[in-house]
Amino acid sequence: MLIFGFVQNPERQRFIRLRDLARSPREKARLLKFPLAARDLLLRDNLTHTHPSFCSPNATAPSLLVQFRRQNMETLLANCVEKNLTQFMFSNAIFLCERLLAQFPSEVNLQLLARCYLSNSQPYSAYYILKGSKTPESRYLFAFSCFKLDLLGEAESALLSTEQVPGGAAGHYLLGLIYRYAGRKNSSIQQFRMALSCDPLCWEAYAELCSLGAAGEASVVFGNVAAQRLQKTNVSQRINFSGGETMDHLIDSDKVSKDTCVWQTEHVSGENQQDLKVKQLGAEIPPDSDKQCNGSSHTNGWDLKTPSPVLTQVLDAPPPMLYKNMRRPEVEGLMYVHGESRRKFMSEEESLEAPEESGRRRSARIAARRKIPLFHSYGKDSHVLHHSPSESNGVPSLSSMIGKCRIQSSKEATTSGQSIGDTGSSVDDEQNSNPRGSSPNPFSLMSGISEVLNLLKILGDGHRHLLMYNCQEALLIYQKLSEKQYNTHWVLMQVGKAYVELQDYFNADSVFTLAHQKSPYALEGMDTYSTVLYHLKEEMRLGYLAQELIAVDRLSPESWCASGNYYSLRKDHEAALKMFRRAIQLNDRFTYAHTLCGHELAALEDFEEAERCYRKALSIDTRHYNAWYGLGMTYLHQEKFEFAQHQFQMALQINPRSSVILCYFGIALHESKRNDEALKMMEKAIVADARNPLSKYFKANILADLGDYHRALEVLEELKDSAPHESSVHALLGKIYKQVKLYDKAVLNFGTALDLNPSPSDTVKIKACMERLTVPNELETEEDL
Amino acid sequence: MATESSESEEEGKIRGGNDKLIVDDDLREMGKNAAWSVSSCKPGNGVNTLRDDNLETYWQSDGLQPHLINIQFQKKVRLQLVALYVDFKLDESYTPSKISVRAGDGFHNLKEVKSVELVKPSGWVSISLSGADPRETFVNTFMLQIAMLSNHLNGRDTHIRQIKVYGPRPNPIPRQPFQFTSTEFITYSTLR
Repeated sequence: MLIFGFVQNPERQRFIRLRDLARSPREKARLLKFPLAARDLLLRDNLTHTHPSFCSPNATAPSLLVQFRRQNMETLLANCVEKNLTQFMFSNAIFLCERLLAQFPSEVNLQLLARCYLSNSQPYSAYYILKGSKTPESRYLFAFSCFKLDLLGEAESALLSTEQVPGGAAGHYLLGLIYRYAGRKNSSIQQFRMALSCDPLCWEAYAELCSLGAAGEASVVFGNVAAQRLQKTNVSQRINFSGGETMDHLIDSDKVSKDTCVWQTEHVSGENQQDLKVKQLGAEIPPDSDKQCNGSSHTNGWDLKTPSPVLTQVLDAPPPMLYKNMRRPEVEGLMYVHGESRRKFMSEEESLEAPEESGRRRSARIAARRKIPLFHSYGKDSHVLHHSPSESNGVPSLSSMIGKCRIQSSKEATTSGQSIGDTGSSVDDEQNSNPRGSSPNPFSLMSGISEVLNLLKILGDGHRHLLMYNCQEALLIYQKLSEKQYNTHWVLMQVGKAYVELQDYFNADSVFTLAHQKSPYALEGMDTYSTVLYHLKEEMRLGYLAQELIAVDRLSPESWCASGNYYSLRKDHEAALKMFRRAIQLNDRFTYAHTLCGHELAALEDFEEAERCYRKALSIDTRHYNAWYGLGMTYLHQEKFEFAQHQFQMALQINPRSSVILCYFGIALHESKRNDEALKMMEKAIVADARNPLSKYFKANILADLGDYHRALEVLEELKDSAPHESSVHALLGKIYKQVKLYDKAVLNFGTALDLNPSPSDTVKIKACMERLTVPNELETEEDL
Repeated sequence: MATESSESEEEGKIRGGNDKLIVDDDLREMGKNAAWSVSSCKPGNGVNTLRDDNLETYWQSDGLQPHLINIQFQKKVRLQLVALYVDFKLDESYTPSKISVRAGDGFHNLKEVKSVELVKPSGWVSISLSGADPRETFVNTFMLQIAMLSNHLNGRDTHIRQIKVYGPRPNPIPRQPFQFTSTEFITYSTLR
């Protein structure tokens, strides 16, 4: 009979500790790995009960037996729970985990149960069970539960109760989100920067920095420092897998590296996941790894203080020795083959390998992908002992097993499938496999890292420019992407949004349509698509889109935004408002829904409520310039021109190239009698977007108001040629000609204006003007014109 | 302009009515900004029933003819159309027959704008306030009064189930003399 760690001697009288059978450390390691070999050893040594290391049967054997039975039950349950989690059988996992925790109360089991609850969307349960826990992982999970429950204060204190934020990059990212939700902008920026420095692949942190307007240059953020950091984390990860390392070693080694290779946040986006696999490539620790450690921890310290300028001061650390010395020609060939052929090649390679190696490699792959701490080891086989820090009755030397990671084959299957389908990228999924033998390939690691970082540099740059509203640059940058990457939903959304900000709705429409056709399930950015259709007045397509989106997911705010836009297009503002309010109910932090609500309320002339909505939108995201614009428009309607000016100014600070905002700012200035500035603003608007006819129209209007009829006429005549079907242009021309007493031209223009189907109130006005042409001396009331 | 139900040869006679209220796109309902009052009512059938969007509830007057519905605005507004829901089949002698629409600054200077006679109406009846002259498309006023001068079958009191008042949409762009008509201009006129 064989129980882990012990073997019964052939006479079935005694239990012999396996460790004691071994004569050397190597044998010991081997025995622990292959306990069955112990039998051979026993026979070899012809051990009898005279062996000094035999435990006395009377005293300890029964209690030891109980211990082992308990550990077997524990490991069995724990394995099952893990398996259930990976297969999304959450209720089963919760049930088993509760039995596990009741039977073997320990910190690790508590964390496992918390994970089960969190996976099952029960943050409240996780909150209660983790309350008061002190270990870093527990604190991270607790903070996460608090965050989900909107208890920001508790979450923050949980994360800050020790010097080191638990969870590494994930912890910093969570803290950044907490600060952002609480409105503490500078702290959140700091935290996001730290998250990025801990883990350069924490893309979401960079995206948040972009949206806060505080992102550094992508080439710096995803540059050399990042490459070194990634390499280092993969190096230390490799250490864990090459057996024999103890838990203590892990804890003592660079904490940040442990955290980064250990923790994954749920916020990791799709592209990030497939990039993570690159981390699998490890390397033997080169002797200068310490220097690298120091270097990056040094820069870590710097990162804390100041934003991007610091990053440029980073030491130009020497390129790692790894790939210089250990290049393998065959691997080199592998690395430069892109696309499908590469993947196929790798899988062929894989199949040639020994099962042991593939098992270890697979475990390495899985380890970095899982969402659980490294130092919990639940092996697939029951030989691995469950370890918990607080357990003291376990066999202490077996803590070496802690270095092994969890092996979850099912999880690997799901995640690899997901990542392949996710982005269809050119970065190879199988890149993580170690082609030959047990020695890792540092060159492939480096090239993998550089490829990932190059990709992220392009995306980061594009995203940053888009959120700074440098739309032309953003479009150019995104063009640099490979076709595969470009045709992913996220990138297409970015491109579409860039076109929208340039007011180029036709191009935006084609991009969005393409994206929607490719991934009809992807709802992100569909609210912007519905806005595009709204601007193009495509009622049918918008209605169809709204129906489609609601059919895909009734609980996503984007779908309700689309249907709200549909009703708004049909001028049914009440219904549109209802839809937008539903979107807000589904996600209170969906800024655009608040802004759209504000627009509808303004259309219904309920300006106070509209203001409230806009301000709510701004409280969530200060850089949402549409809300500033909306506020400015409501003040214009209410004739509060100074207020309007201020709002437009704020909007322009965020997006200085929007000709629409420049126009309205000009109008507000004109109404406040600051006419010179108004005209300058109109000039700026004309320059900003030459296709915008309104800037010229407003300019002419202001000139006419100021009495400068000739210039106004010039502008309008020009405009008439470029926009011949606009009735208001002709109407204004007519009005001005009347002022300069060119009555026949005035009549001509009024007639044309009437032919172009103006609104009824305008028809009345124009006809009234025409009537009065015959009697120019008659007093005109302000109302009519 | 408003769609009117069939008009007979005599001026101002309206027969029948529409089941659905169909109004032009360029009109919007103005009743929300107004104070509504009636000359008299039976308890339980008060002025609220006129604005509750429920065709089952109705206002019942309780006094001498003419019965009046007063709509008062805080500032001068332009009105173009009044729509009433009345049903001869349900209300018979309570259905109004002669209706006069008056406008003015207040109770002291109301002047008749339109007068119609309903003949067995059943459904929505639209009364346009426009005059013949294109300049008189709207009535620009502080107050509107709808007077029920007589009922069908010489009934004393009257039932009205719902009433709506329409005016033109304002210019979405503030401080501009004219509205935009072409798509290009409209696209560039707003951000969303």
